Amino acid sequence: MSGDHIHAEPTNFFRKHVFSVDHKVIAKQFLWFGLVWLGIGGIMAMLIRWQLANPGDPVPVIGSFLFPRTGGVIDPATYNTLFTMHGTIMIFLGLTPLIIGCVGNWAIPLMIGARDMIFPLLNCLSFWTVFAGGCVGFYSLFVPLGATEAGWTGYPTLSTTVNGLGSGETLWAIAVFLIGASSIMGGINYMTTVIRLRAPGMTWGRLPLTVWGLFLTSALNVLFIPVIGSAMLLLIMDRVFGTTFFVPASIMQGGGGGDPILYQHLFWIFGHPEVYILILPAWGIIGDLLSFFARKPAFGYRAQVGAMTAVTVLSAVVYGHHMFTTGLSAMLGESFMLLTMIISVPAEILFFSWLHTIWRGNIRFTVPMLWSVGVIFVFGLGGLTGIYCATIGTDIFLHDTYFIVGHFHLTMAASALFAAFGAIVFFFPKMFGRMMSPLLGKLHFWLTIIPLVSVFCMMFVMGYAGMPRRYYDHTSMEFLASLQHMNKAATHMAFLLGSAQLIFVFNFIKSRWFGKPASTNPWEVGTLDWQTETPLPHYNFKDIPTVVTGPHEFSHPALPEGRDWISMTEELPSA
Amino acid sequence: MTSAAISLPKEGIKSRVNTTLGMVFFIGSWSMSFGTLFLAFAVLRQRSGVWPPVGIALPSLPMATLATAVLIASSVAFHRALQGIDAKDSNAVRADGLGLPWIIGLVTGVAFALLQGWLWMDLMAAGRNPSSGLYESLFYGLTWVHALHVGIGLLSLLWATIGLAAGRYGSHRFSTINNIVIFWHFVDVVWIVLYLAFFIF
Amino acid sequence: MKLHTKMMQRLTSLWTSGITRASLGLAILCGMAPEALAGGKRWGPVPFASDFGYRFEDLFWLITWLCVGSFSIVVIMILIPSVRDRYKPGRKAHFDHGASLKDKRLATVISAATFLVLDAWVLVIAMTDLREAWWNIPESEEAGVYEVEVLAQQWAWNFRHKGADGKFGTADDILQMNELTVPNGRSVSFQGTSKDVIHSLFIPAMRFKKDFNPGDINSVWFKPITAGNYTILCAELCGYAHYQMFGELHVLESDTFDNWAADASELGVAAYDSEDTEARWAWDWKE
Repeated sequence: MSGDHIHAEPTNFFRKHVFSVDHKVIAKQFLWFGLVWLGIGGIMAMLIRWQLANPGDPVPVIGSFLFPRTGGVIDPATYNTLFTMHGTIMIFLGLTPLIIGCVGNWAIPLMIGARDMIFPLLNCLSFWTVFAGGCVGFYSLFVPLGATEAGWTGYPTLSTTVNGLGSGETLWAIAVFLIGASSIMGGINYMTTVIRLRAPGMTWGRLPLTVWGLFLTSALNVLFIPVIGSAMLLLIMDRVFGTTFFVPASIMQGGGGGDPILYQHLFWIFGHPEVYILILPAWGIIGDLLSFFARKPAFGYRAQVGAMTAVTVLSAVVYGHHMFTTGLSAMLGESFMLLTMIISVPAEILFFSWLHTIWRGNIRFTVPMLWSVGVIFVFGLGGLTGIYCATIGTDIFLHDTYFIVGHFHLTMAASALFAAFGAIVFFFPKMFGRMMSPLLGKLHFWLTIIPLVSVFCMMFVMGYAGMPRRYYDHTSMEFLASLQHMNKAATHMAFLLGSAQLIFVFNFIKSRWFGKPASTNPWEVGTLDWQTETPLPHYNFKDIPTVVTGPHEFSHPALPEGRDWISMTEELPSA
Repeated sequence: MTSAAISLPKEGIKSRVNTTLGMVFFIGSWSMSFGTLFLAFAVLRQRSGVWPPVGIALPSLPMATLATAVLIASSVAFHRALQGIDAKDSNAVRADGLGLPWIIGLVTGVAFALLQGWLWMDLMAAGRNPSSGLYESLFYGLTWVHALHVGIGLLSLLWATIGLAAGRYGSHRFSTINNIVIFWHFVDVVWIVLYLAFFIF
Repeated sequence: MKLHTKMMQRLTSLWTSGITRASLGLAILCGMAPEALAGGKRWGPVPFASDFGYRFEDLFWLITWLCVGSFSIVVIMILIPSVRDRYKPGRKAHFDHGASLKDKRLATVISAATFLVLDAWVLVIAMTDLREAWWNIPESEEAGVYEVEVLAQQWAWNFRHKGADGKFGTADDILQMNELTVPNGRSVSFQGTSKDVIHSLFIPAMRFKKDFNPGDINSVWFKPITAGNYTILCAELCGYAHYQMFGELHVLESDTFDNWAADASELGVAAYDSEDTEARWAWDWKE
């Protein structure tokens, strides 16, 4: 059952490539799955931006194909569906599979020196559950009476009444439930693997930060995904069986007595940890990558682990800051404001450590390094703007405006995405035995970060100017029409951002099959995953390695001239 | 391999710890899931003035109490059965694996499911269906989710029973049956909380 | 193949020169220029017209300058090593785990500074603001409080004034839809709920926002200080025509307002239809 035995590699095509229990194959499945959904979610973002800049104009080229009923025009219901599904897809089907499914499956066993995950079958089940969730979500776009239109947060009583008797919203909830179940399975597997299958000598203090980030994320997954799972069950019951958990008495004929705000509590008890579920692996990854490419030990390794752990704990008790305008009591509001503010302390420790890691290094600006520095930049912007959102005095005005959209895209979306890109480029040589083109990689990086920062900083301005989010058309009233110029500017930059992703697609596909063959350790780092052969043998390590050195002993003074790294399996020469 | 004459070593401690640890995390996750439902229960009950509602048919207290007793008996029986299996070193499971305690556990488990069904039918017969009001929403909603887990538990136990009968499980492959029984205990504990929440407090 | 390799090398060297990157960045920014530079466009919020509006502005700009300061440090700390510590073969990076007592002290000092400057400072001001302004909802007995009941629905705002008799739910109530008239200089106190889904009353010029939830009554208030017309928006997604759910707030000087209210109340009596139960929503003011 566990991954410490060597099993024969399956020869059957289905066992080898489709229902494989090999963590490496599952990582690649998550990678392709995540990238396809990232593309679909990205196209939705482009459609949203088109509508905002040119309200009511038919979408050029693809419009008549996507929306034949309206001649290519996005109608308000479709627009609501688009931003709802954009959020759901990007979070649950794009970023989660990439940064947790793919990176987690790839990095955890290899970095801790295991032959596979501890529960390989559960791992396979986890992928096929999220796949099923994706299928349900995609199918829900085409059901009669319309797909979900209630926002990715799905607040009742809109979500209990929207689409009438149609199944769009119900299928959305089922999809979220299935995806959540997949995350729980993955989380249990990751946690147990890290606890039980570390190679000899791989102490907790020698665990690469990537593994730390994924481990803490798994804990959050295991604890908080069930909360939204249950909330979704209650929502489904309200929609299908006529129960009244979230439907208050005043709009029901006889009976009722539920509470729509209860849903918001349940949703955000999950929803805020979810933000950290996506960002913790990103922090871990860049903690490692910055050290690897600055050729310096990770500065304050213990402080970084401590800060990530502190954030993991705090994430459970700050969710109320999403609900400052719902009529939360003053006492609760102030408590949540204080608790939220405290998160800035561990976050500051992380910044302090990252910036000191690159300080006085010997920095190799490879593509993964660029993405990692990019994470510091965008997470800095996003994190600092979090102060406005945590402070009730400013949040009262900024809540549900574009300011929030800018804030969470920079923190959660862009940071996790950048770290995922960095990790993909970094692990690519071991995964596929080939290098990705650094030239195209750098072009992609610059053409992503510049428009991305422009778009979302533009949104800060829009939000401060009072533009509410989730509006189909900002030109229908004078107050917002005078801000339309910013919408247009943001849309131009968003299109640039969208088209820049084609560079990545081209680079990825070209390098996958025609890239330069990679050596076993092209980045010259010491972690166990790079001490294996390329291509990887079916069970990773013929002999389980024994770890004697930490993961970040770069540029150690005792190292011989001309060499600035040491494998985790090698003893440091005595100085 | 299924011959009773061949003696297999007991499952090693490492493998047992691995799978049990995974199960502990699963139970943690499930506890959060049911914790959410109980939180919803507490909040909604707090909001409604009169609890339980007066003047309408409520689920039968004696039958619910009987169901609780039956389920606890089931848990105890499985616990005894596991102790018996684990105490054996040899693979003489075909004869002993499916001992009396295991059979009692399975029968009482099925009996609980039937009693649960009876509770629903009884309430439906009194004209109280899930859309009748908040109490019904909570009662049906929470017991449905619980019953789903009872169903999963019973199917797994059935699987384990077949495995035990065939000699696939035993002290040599203990983790699987152990985990299934842990899950069954969890289902039991959730029911006790449900029972206390709806019928006692 | 050879030509191809050569061109790639050219491109690489061109690309790696900082000037190219800078000019590319500039060119991209110029993509926004036509919109950005055109005159007569609004870039910020409309000026505040409520007595606590300045508190939002002050707090917003305090946080902004704190953020600009902190972020500048981050950017400088990225830029210096990016230029100075670029890879040179043969050079060894400074070997440092950052675990010395000095580093720990530095980290502690910076953490404390973060907490005291970024958090505590903002927190104290925010708490004061909340207690003195947003959460300081005036009591009914206070002189000059003007009370309005709000019923939000898909997709309109219904407002109810007490009318001449000073009571809600009577024939002389003034009912307004997507339009709200209030007196200047008096505290306006709202209690609101929703008929169907969650809506959020957002008056940007007054710098406040409050969700109105079905099955529950929420309170919010503001005190206009400038007469004029302002936009009312819905800030919580409420379905198909969410973007169409807007109204107008008229803040009138008190004598104009009194005339308007007297006329409107009379009109209300005239238009009162006891059969029309839909229009008779109201509740006793919740203390």
